[in-house]
Amino acid sequence: MALDTLYQAETPEGIALALRPAGLVARAQAWAIDFGIRLGLFFVISLVAGIAGGLGAAFLLIAYFLLEWFYPVVFELGRGGATPGKQALGLQVVMDSGLPVTVAASVVRNLLRAADFLPFLYAAGAMALLLRHDFKRLGDLAAGTLVVYRETVRLHGALPEAPPVAPARLLSGAEQAAIVAWAGRGTRLTPERFEELAQLARPVAGLPAGARGADLTRRLLGVAHWVLGHREAQR
Amino acid sequence: MRVDAIALQLRPRTMAEAADLGVLLVQRHVRSLARTWAPVYAAVALLALATIELGAWVPGLVIFWCKPWLDRTILFVLSRAVFGDATSAADLWRQRRSIWRGDLLRTLTLRRLSPWRSYTQPVAQLEGQSGAARRRRRAQLLRGRRGAAAGVHAVYAHVELVLVTGVLALAVWLAPEGSHRSVLAWLGRGGTLSNGLVISATYAAIVLVLEPFYVASGFAMYLNRRVELEAWDVEQEFRRALA
Repeated sequence: MALDTLYQAETPEGIALALRPAGLVARAQAWAIDFGIRLGLFFVISLVAGIAGGLGAAFLLIAYFLLEWFYPVVFELGRGGATPGKQALGLQVVMDSGLPVTVAASVVRNLLRAADFLPFLYAAGAMALLLRHDFKRLGDLAAGTLVVYRETVRLHGALPEAPPVAPARLLSGAEQAAIVAWAGRGTRLTPERFEELAQLARPVAGLPAGARGADLTRRLLGVAHWVLGHREAQR
Repeated sequence: MRVDAIALQLRPRTMAEAADLGVLLVQRHVRSLARTWAPVYAAVALLALATIELGAWVPGLVIFWCKPWLDRTILFVLSRAVFGDATSAADLWRQRRSIWRGDLLRTLTLRRLSPWRSYTQPVAQLEGQSGAARRRRRAQLLRGRRGAAAGVHAVYAHVELVLVTGVLALAVWLAPEGSHRSVLAWLGRGGTLSNGLVISATYAAIVLVLEPFYVASGFAMYLNRRVELEAWDVEQEFRRALA
């Protein structure tokens, strides 16, 4: 079984979802950005509060309390499901069933940040992220939430042009996906590497063993177009 | 090099996500690391701690300075782990010349100063490149990924600091009632032999745990870069599905 970072979640309808939980590096960087933003907000508020004297001090303490405990909650329940730092890193907080995060779960996971903070600056949280497969810190465990990457990385470009060709034999789903993935990389790889990969798929192209590399590439690109449902224009 | 034998699911990932995959690789192969990395590191750490009488900061500096050399042992284990192979002390001993003696001068000087050494380490150690070829290869890996590689390095450097402080803070917390203040003052008072030893030993213990994760994250990022540059994920799929 190949090692992967995926987390399998099942919806009530019995559909298996593959979530991609985020680990230490992304979340530490997201935290650093959020910490900077909170620090900046607190600085601005204390400038304003400084003018107001005694009342300002009370206001400042309330602002500090709200920033510390509810800054993440407000953003997690918003549209993006993530604080600005997490959004910058492409992260999102979801329930571990894949559903959007609920109010209760968001409050619980952020109250338990205090436990993850112990004994010093999120040391417990960092250890949990290093030792668990699903990268849940203590707050995530208690609330049943997961921090996931929102978007997949795409290395695909547009497929290079080629006349559609039927493959030499029936292709399984995995084979079709592999050929389309190969074709999509055409603009990104060196021609030599592109052709080298095409050689691996020679049986599908249905060319004789002596055929030139360029012909093979072209033929296989045609198969990719065919798999995607493109057909020769009707005359 | 058989790409289809790689026991990792290759697909395009961000560098941070690739670093997560490295964490899983360490979790999966913790036994191999305990058999090989732990004894090697224990020997170095004990030697380093023996220098405590030269100054309270010397053991920490020795361990810190030897890290690129120590990382070579970890990367050897991980380079086999990627194919699902376990590593025993005997495997390590057979390869001791290339692992411990190879590229020694550079490892202990320039590599120590590199802000992304775990990411570029496979170029020298696994690809066996040297000279101009290595410089070109490294530049190719780093192009457009310099920030991400340095970012991962920075995260692990900070986590190390946090964990060392965390363990010391825990010691203060668990001190007998009423003595917290004096324990804290004792830890903060520099220069004495005993507190220097406690702090150095704590640092040594954290490096034992954290260094494999750091090296594995860099290695997984290196593999991810080869997915980007050479479409290793497509090769893996082709060889599995079509061969």
